[in-house]
Amino acid sequence: MGAEEAWILAAVPAITFLVLAATGRYLPRQGDFIGILAAGAIFVLFFVVLADFLDLGEAAWPIVNNIAWTEIGEFELRMGILVDPITIVMLAVITTVAFMVNVFSVGYMKGEPRYWWYFAMLQLFVASMLLLVVADNLLLLYISWELVGLSSFVLIGHYWERRSAVEAAKKAFITTRVGDVGLLIGIILLWEATGTFNILEIIEAVEAGAVGEVRLFVTMMFIFLGAMGKSAQVPFHVWLPDAMEGPTPVSALIHAATMVVAGVYLVARLLPVFEVAEGALLVVTFVGLITALFSGVVAFAQTDIKKVLAYSTISQLGFMFVALGTGLVGVGMFHLFTHAFFKALLFLGAGSVIIGSHHHQEMGQLGGLWRKMPITAMTFLIGSLALAGLFPLAGFWSKDEILHAVDSHRGAWAYVLISVAAIMTAFYTTRLFIRTFLGQPQDAEIHSHTRETGPIMTLPLVFLAILSIIAGLVVFNGVGDAIGFPGGFPEFVFLHEPERFHVDWGLVGFSSALFVIGTFGAAWIYWRGRLDRATAAARWQPQLSEMVQRKFYFDDLYQFAIDRGVLGLSYLVSWFDRFAVNDTGVDGSANMTRYAGFVLKHVQTGRVPNYAMAIAVGVVALTLITLAVRN
Amino acid sequence: MVPLENYLVLSGIIFSLGVYGVLARRNAVLVLMSIELMLNAVSLNFVAFAAYLDPDLITGVIVAIFVIAVAAAEVGLALAIVIRLFRNRSTANVDEAATLRW
Repeated sequence: MGAEEAWILAAVPAITFLVLAATGRYLPRQGDFIGILAAGAIFVLFFVVLADFLDLGEAAWPIVNNIAWTEIGEFELRMGILVDPITIVMLAVITTVAFMVNVFSVGYMKGEPRYWWYFAMLQLFVASMLLLVVADNLLLLYISWELVGLSSFVLIGHYWERRSAVEAAKKAFITTRVGDVGLLIGIILLWEATGTFNILEIIEAVEAGAVGEVRLFVTMMFIFLGAMGKSAQVPFHVWLPDAMEGPTPVSALIHAATMVVAGVYLVARLLPVFEVAEGALLVVTFVGLITALFSGVVAFAQTDIKKVLAYSTISQLGFMFVALGTGLVGVGMFHLFTHAFFKALLFLGAGSVIIGSHHHQEMGQLGGLWRKMPITAMTFLIGSLALAGLFPLAGFWSKDEILHAVDSHRGAWAYVLISVAAIMTAFYTTRLFIRTFLGQPQDAEIHSHTRETGPIMTLPLVFLAILSIIAGLVVFNGVGDAIGFPGGFPEFVFLHEPERFHVDWGLVGFSSALFVIGTFGAAWIYWRGRLDRATAAARWQPQLSEMVQRKFYFDDLYQFAIDRGVLGLSYLVSWFDRFAVNDTGVDGSANMTRYAGFVLKHVQTGRVPNYAMAIAVGVVALTLITLAVRN
Repeated sequence: MVPLENYLVLSGIIFSLGVYGVLARRNAVLVLMSIELMLNAVSLNFVAFAAYLDPDLITGVIVAIFVIAVAAAEVGLALAIVIRLFRNRSTANVDEAATLRW
């Protein structure tokens, strides 16, 4: 098996899904070992693909392998796979995180309802995401895009006995669906303009100028709408914090490797087209900046561990879009790559805390877990520092690259704003860590019951922690070569010109300064779990604090729009349906017929002469009419 | 040779008499007889046209024979109905047969 058969990576979990869905509940251990075996298999198979990909050499990239799927008139639809450095990065992220999540889930989901179904859906989720990143045409990409949406819907709503979980699943599905419609329209528009779904052919055609300027811009905005929905960019971000209702390992999978990065991947994949569309990249940067800042602020006020991480993810996705908006695909993908590891680590760490403390995830009830859960705390600290951007952990390098890209490709305004967002990242991450693991236990009862979790959960944490430390080093030529990104990340993933990575010590200093400001700011306020400074700040600006706590009223606004707009319109429509369609149309015509029958039945006298008379009169009348018409 | 118009006028008169009989008479037997008149008028038409258009062809005459045969069958059936009516109602007045309705 080589890179040309990369579709096998998607086929393995897909088949596992079918097996588990059909037989999982009757198998010993409800078949969880099959899930882990499959995840482990694709983790290993990825390296086979990677080795073959590197063997084939740069001249053979991108590797394309497709078959004729169907023919409609003149149009031939080909389905297949496309493997290039972007795909390889995505495959690395997905297979690694999926494997870790599968292992972790054995510990986390122990004794939970529908254990087998959970593992089955996990496989489908991974399969659809893998299919999405190897798809060589937009139609296949869209199909797997929707499959990802479906499996996330099922997994978020795994505890469907709980109303909030059902609501969250529905919200995630419907919110992303709004964007998906945009994506579908965009794909159709691109097809209409270029006559193909094939991504490479579309890029070629657009670069040759097949699509008019305005039209291309509109098309790309539609496609970006889909990316915004999936990647939870403002104003479509509302579904993601609610998606925390799902089991925590699922959150790790959604936030790190699948689902939300699909939007980033889509933009990265079509970046050449975005470049041609004048102004589209500026929109991408804008949306990313707004999202990064907005969710950074909201994360300050969250008290649920998972919610803080959720807003952090939204913010980091904003960073990725800012990076892509500069036109440097390598920078965006690099942040996606490093972020996947430490965000998966943080979410699995949160899951470990939840299990260790017997299902408590409010920071107000935790605190002081450092001594009780040393491994979780240690790995969580590494993840937090990587996210906050401590030199030389993974997050530092990618954030550095983003700062550099923004500095050289966008104005000073963007540079200032993204720096502020970076400070926020360090701030809320430090706050999260201090309030959860340091200081005095907030609730002695909970604290006394808290235990470190078993090795099945801590081992993935340790593994991901190691990756969080070293993953960023792939920017360097030597490290990249060794791991499989020849020339280092920036020379592996690029659009036009490979760019050799240089350490810019000035930028390192600046970036570290941002880290220090954010971290020490948060530490000064929250050290030893004290809250008086935070409450004082809230009292100083009550309106602002209220606004942040209510997440800038986005949910309220949408609720209002649904209550007044959608429900109002639905009321009108239902009124129309009830009175105009049903009462007047359906019942009305039936009643009319009945009444007409009641009146007209008297015509039927039953007397033969009357009928004879009617026939005679009819014949005469018809004759006269015929004559009249003839002449 | 008698001109065609004469036959047609005669046929028309007989047909109208038949129609009048069907509509005006109350006795079922008389109604039947009026129907026979109408049938005969039609037969007359056929024969007249056949002779006028091509004397060698006998198609019209054959149709007339068919009409007579059908009329005989019809009368057989109708008279049976009239007898049933008379047995049940003790009258042959068609106005009495008024149950053919809702």
